[in-house]
Amino acid sequence: MHAVSQQGAGQLRRIDFDPVARVAGGLALRTVVDTERFEVVEASMLATMYRGYEVLLRGRDPRDAVFVSSRACGVCGGAHAWTSALACEMAYGSAPPAMGIVARNWLSALEDLCDLPHHLFQRAGPDFSEPLVRQTSPELWARAQQTPAANVATHGYGLVSEIMTAMTPFRGGLYRRALELTRVAKEAYGLVGGKHPHPQTTTPAGVSALIDPSDRNLTLLRIDKFLDYSREVAAVWDDLADFFLTADPRYADVGAGPKNFFDFGRWDDPFAYDATFENAPVWGERRWSTPGVIVDGRLRTTNLHQIDGGVEEFVDRSFYEDWSADGGVYATDPAGNNVSARHPWNKETLPQPGGPNLNGQYSWSTAPRWDRLAMETGAGARMWITAMARKQPHSRFVESTGHSLVMHMPQAALPEATLEWLVPERWNAFERNRARAYSLVHSTLVAYENVLIGYDLARIGGPDARTFTEYEIPKGGVVGVGYWGGPRGAISHHMEIDNRVIRNYQILAGSTFNASPMDPFGTPGPCEAAVMGTPLLSTRQPERYLDAMRAVRSFDPCMSCATH
Amino acid sequence: MSYDEVAADPLSNPVGGPDPDDNIIHLFWLQGMGCDGCTTALLAANRPSLEEMVLGTVPRIPRIILHHPMLDDDSGPDFMSAYRQAVEGTLGAPYVVVLEGSIPDDQSFPGEGYFAALGVAADAPQGMRATGRPDQPLRVSDWAWAMARRAEACFSIGTCATWGGIPAAAGNITGSMGFMDYLGREYRSARGLPVVNVPGCAPIGDNFTETLMQVLLYFDGAVKLPEFDELGRPEWMFAETVHRHCMKAGYYEEGVFAHEPGDNECLVEIGCWGPVVQCNITERGAINHTGGCMIAGGACIGCTMPGFPDKYSPFYKAPPGSAVSGTVSRIYGGGIRRLRRLSMTAGNHTPIWDRADHIPSAWGIAAGQKTPAQKVNAYFYKKLQYKGTVNHSARNKKQPQPGSRDILKQKGVDMSASVPVLGERVVTREEL
Ligand code: SF4
Ligand code: SF4
Repeated sequence: MHAVSQQGAGQLRRIDFDPVARVAGGLALRTVVDTERFEVVEASMLATMYRGYEVLLRGRDPRDAVFVSSRACGVCGGAHAWTSALACEMAYGSAPPAMGIVARNWLSALEDLCDLPHHLFQRAGPDFSEPLVRQTSPELWARAQQTPAANVATHGYGLVSEIMTAMTPFRGGLYRRALELTRVAKEAYGLVGGKHPHPQTTTPAGVSALIDPSDRNLTLLRIDKFLDYSREVAAVWDDLADFFLTADPRYADVGAGPKNFFDFGRWDDPFAYDATFENAPVWGERRWSTPGVIVDGRLRTTNLHQIDGGVEEFVDRSFYEDWSADGGVYATDPAGNNVSARHPWNKETLPQPGGPNLNGQYSWSTAPRWDRLAMETGAGARMWITAMARKQPHSRFVESTGHSLVMHMPQAALPEATLEWLVPERWNAFERNRARAYSLVHSTLVAYENVLIGYDLARIGGPDARTFTEYEIPKGGVVGVGYWGGPRGAISHHMEIDNRVIRNYQILAGSTFNASPMDPFGTPGPCEAAVMGTPLLSTRQPERYLDAMRAVRSFDPCMSCATH
Repeated sequence: MSYDEVAADPLSNPVGGPDPDDNIIHLFWLQGMGCDGCTTALLAANRPSLEEMVLGTVPRIPRIILHHPMLDDDSGPDFMSAYRQAVEGTLGAPYVVVLEGSIPDDQSFPGEGYFAALGVAADAPQGMRATGRPDQPLRVSDWAWAMARRAEACFSIGTCATWGGIPAAAGNITGSMGFMDYLGREYRSARGLPVVNVPGCAPIGDNFTETLMQVLLYFDGAVKLPEFDELGRPEWMFAETVHRHCMKAGYYEEGVFAHEPGDNECLVEIGCWGPVVQCNITERGAINHTGGCMIAGGACIGCTMPGFPDKYSPFYKAPPGSAVSGTVSRIYGGGIRRLRRLSMTAGNHTPIWDRADHIPSAWGIAAGQKTPAQKVNAYFYKKLQYKGTVNHSARNKKQPQPGSRDILKQKGVDMSASVPVLGERVVTREEL
């Protein structure tokens, strides 16, 4: 049994999971469950590992920033490396040439191809596999054996139960195919990135790579495999989500959450991005994935100054001392917009290890909030904001309609087709996973498109075909910030340099937002909130607590990122 | 010896299909102060792949029962129970331990608190620290020493676990160290092995899975004890410098150098440390013989080395000595060799070992101290390297030494006797 202690004599029961398996990094989940209504009533997420990257980066040469901060995360190391490179090049005043930007874009999209399948099949997937479904919900398994899979033409599985069988760890075809295809993506990544997960060619103001025809061809040929594979993945998750939501409508409450989304966007327009803070609202809106904030389903802003400016980080429930008592160093951001004393520009990292106490400090993650609201970020937020904003630059393959993303799939082994991801009406674990599956299609097309642009730039030649711009690290005090997105959403690195030494370095990552603890206003983090209220629907082995786990994993938390 | 004789010896030929007896071995993955990048590398490994090892299809090696927090079905106590059994000696099958990430110095905390946690006090096996309330997290550092005792072998994967890596860099507040530092020089596994080290940040996945395979083949009797160097690295992978097999070495030889990132020539002047770094990525590629740092155009920053990152910082700056060795590369003189040996010796020491003047490796003779001449040379070398930037050597001198180094001695664990595995005595540590 998982019960650690009994709370009161009634039906409320404390149930803890230290650790939560099948997430990245160290995560523990502590809950209180109503054992009569079979529902989670309280949930706390504990980030259980801390290395102190922000402290480590202080006092180093800024030339170390990219390769050191990359190691904050070994799942999306590239995303941190590029974010850091963006912060550096802003501080140095040097933007990469077009080819450098485009190569970064395709590497960044490829990073999704290296990782999203791991989430969908190695981490979240087993929760929907035959062994787990059979053991915990035999009646659902029986139903799956009777239910034809609507997308058989794309993925080849005739029944929903066959999909579940194929998701069985290590033995199932879909499980193994994810391992095989991510290796193909990692090869493509290595061609120009050098190695995965920590790319060796990242540098401020470009990439340190000579991209020759073979690099482009061999990358394109590997992306080509994903034109089919990503569609199969989306088809599989469509069938799975539809099956569960139809079989029992209460599944729509598993991991349900508000429609509050946050993203810095990514994939720069090579002819708009100039690495300046002043123009961030302009080049930000030209990104293929649009920066933005959605509150209650309504798009509030796509302006990077407003998006970043509204961020505050709270440490009341985290293992840090509060630094904000005497106000901040900066009253405004570099463009003169007001920022709070709790903004990353003003943050000082003061770790204070201790034992967790659910009524006090309990996590190594901080609690970032936007306009004091808890914000979800990640693949779903990225798709949602991009779909609603209708701002993305021209694309041969992707259209933003205001309520959906339309994706035109060029022919590979499967014939040409058009896919559409619709902004869902309800937001829950199943829609999160479905969105992540579609975002694999999206990222495949962005990678494909950017390699094609690489061909164009190479053909035209001249300065745009170069990959790197020279820079000098200025003497005196300079600041820079990078905004990017990893597979799990928004990442920012705020850096302050003084006399060629880093004075302050502040990292926010997607999972810092998603897996954050409660804030001082009593609002739990997005993932905590999604677990609270989750119904436990398994009819057998309720102690496995499967639906709460589905809710947690649908965020694909990465705790190394979260705490750094 | 004739072929017939060789073939008749059941231990002579490791090729022969899956193990008919379905032997198993448990593999416990511990995540210390790491980034999951080694797990990412593990999933990328292809020769052999994780799935082949878990399904038991690799010839002559036992099927692996994997306990990995990122891949396991179960969470909480159900996940932890096997860890507990391993420590208590009730698992019923042999096991190995793989550590990803370094070990923080949280054993030195007087009360509660941790930098890396796994499980709660209620899961604690007998004999392991379980102070505090039953819902207080256990530290990974608790598990690391407790599990190491009965393990058939302990592996460090990646530069954090092997040498300390970035969590142990100058300015860190966690007191992080490598697995070897933590267990101490006397440590031997149940089979008599010191910690096996597969470095790289992140490592090449195949480097790890192949090393694991080789050690398991040794346990099986199919091969002799694999060649490990004096720091416990698989020698057949890490003996050579990455420069020797670099596809840009021809440029180097001709004295033609890249001036900025994106140039095709040898990268030494934009910060490549390849000539003094032991790594096989130019030979093996990053994955499936594809990619690789300098092959793609990225300069080597020494990520496999004990001195990483501080002894290669600042990155993107030409290493000291490269001006000399670069321009006169055609006249390959003794001076260059000496310079290289110098920086290679320096790079093969972590700052913790420098401060202690001691290497916690039991693998070889090299675990000695530095000669006075080496120290003088090192002084001038560092002057050059850190000119105009942060002097990490000076910073590292002030960095406190982690208090929980050599934990087994501190815990009074006797490493001079053998440990019974499955009730039967294997080779004693003395005999080995
Ligand atoms: S110095 Fe670096 S780039 Fe140049 S040949 Fe050696 S390893 Fe290759
Ligand atoms: S070449 Fe250098 S940077 Fe690249 S993997 Fe090897 S040691 Fe690390």
